[in-house]
Amino acid sequence: MKKVLIAVVIVLVATALYFYNFDKNYRNLLGKQLKASYILHNPDKPLPKFSLLDHNRQLFDNERLKKGWSLLLFIYTHCPDVCPTELLDMSQLKNLMAKDKTAHMPTVVAITFDPLRDTPEVLKEYITHFDKDFIGVSGEQAQIDQLIKPFGAYYERVIYDKKGKPVTLKAGEKLPKGSLEKGYVINHTAWIYLINPKGEIFAGFPSPHKTSEMMQDIKLMMDSF
Amino acid sequence: MKKITLNLTLTLLFSLFATQINATTHNHGEQQNMEAVGIQNPWVRSAPPNAPALGAFMEIYNNSDKGVKLLSASASGYKRLELHRSGRKNGMMTMVRQDFVLIPAHEKLVFKPGSWHIMMIKPEKVPKEGSSVAITLVFDNGLSKTVNAMVRKAGMMKDYGVKH
Repeated sequence: MKKVLIAVVIVLVATALYFYNFDKNYRNLLGKQLKASYILHNPDKPLPKFSLLDHNRQLFDNERLKKGWSLLLFIYTHCPDVCPTELLDMSQLKNLMAKDKTAHMPTVVAITFDPLRDTPEVLKEYITHFDKDFIGVSGEQAQIDQLIKPFGAYYERVIYDKKGKPVTLKAGEKLPKGSLEKGYVINHTAWIYLINPKGEIFAGFPSPHKTSEMMQDIKLMMDSF
Repeated sequence: MKKITLNLTLTLLFSLFATQINATTHNHGEQQNMEAVGIQNPWVRSAPPNAPALGAFMEIYNNSDKGVKLLSASASGYKRLELHRSGRKNGMMTMVRQDFVLIPAHEKLVFKPGSWHIMMIKPEKVPKEGSSVAITLVFDNGLSKTVNAMVRKAGMMKDYGVKH
């Protein structure tokens, strides 16, 4: 009886090791072929539950990311340089994928770092200018601050004092009175993330974004999923 | 013999005249390029109709023997224009306001996405793609220049005229 039990345990351990190594090899092989992205997939760490609003004031939660592949980025509309570049890259990527009949464009979701100024209405006009199918997402600042953590994304606000000296405020720090009127900029990470149909972070694309390389990587990852 | 001499003289005169024309054209061209401060390819990135801020870009040439500082920029229909530089810090894309931008002697400074740019804050009306925006630049050598910046999408390099 003991012998049978030991044999069963050995078989189980061997099977587990086989699948563990298979998964590791598969990731290594896939990772080596990627040109513009890194695999970030960790099924043991699903995204925390969140409840935000899309640009039509409809609920945008984890379930919305389970309807297919998504490309997710964090932006703010007062950004004159980095964010519009990223959104333009996404619209160019969509055009590129439409020409390549073997590719399928994931849904683009742009979540604001700055819901104080970027309401769903503001996002609707701003985001859909780049493409009518892009989705802008706003909501409570605290929820957004929680959501960005597993992505490794972060930001800080920069205001200027009376002498014109920059003052940095960490995420969650209260803005001094009059900041909304005076204006502020946001320093932020600028990765774009590929989310799989299970609503999990699958890969990340650091900036600057080369759309042709992004397309190759996305095709590779979607095909091998 | 007289005919040959006449022909030779005419040819010589013509060559001299042609050389003179070339020299004049060349000098004129050099004069254009050798202005103390030259600005080329000014453009404004096209943006959504409710964009709260726009980015303007250009190349600034300093043809003089002394460094020149760009002190400010202005355009009518905007709350204010600021000089900025995008960069990277601790993994973040940053944007830092500049009090001035130095263009070293005999060098050019390129204002481009992801780098130096002019931030145009709170447009009364966001200009449409294909239109142009007059931007006035003030330098520390007393020079002031107004350029017509074409509104276009990023990634399309074209030359646009400079108004002095």
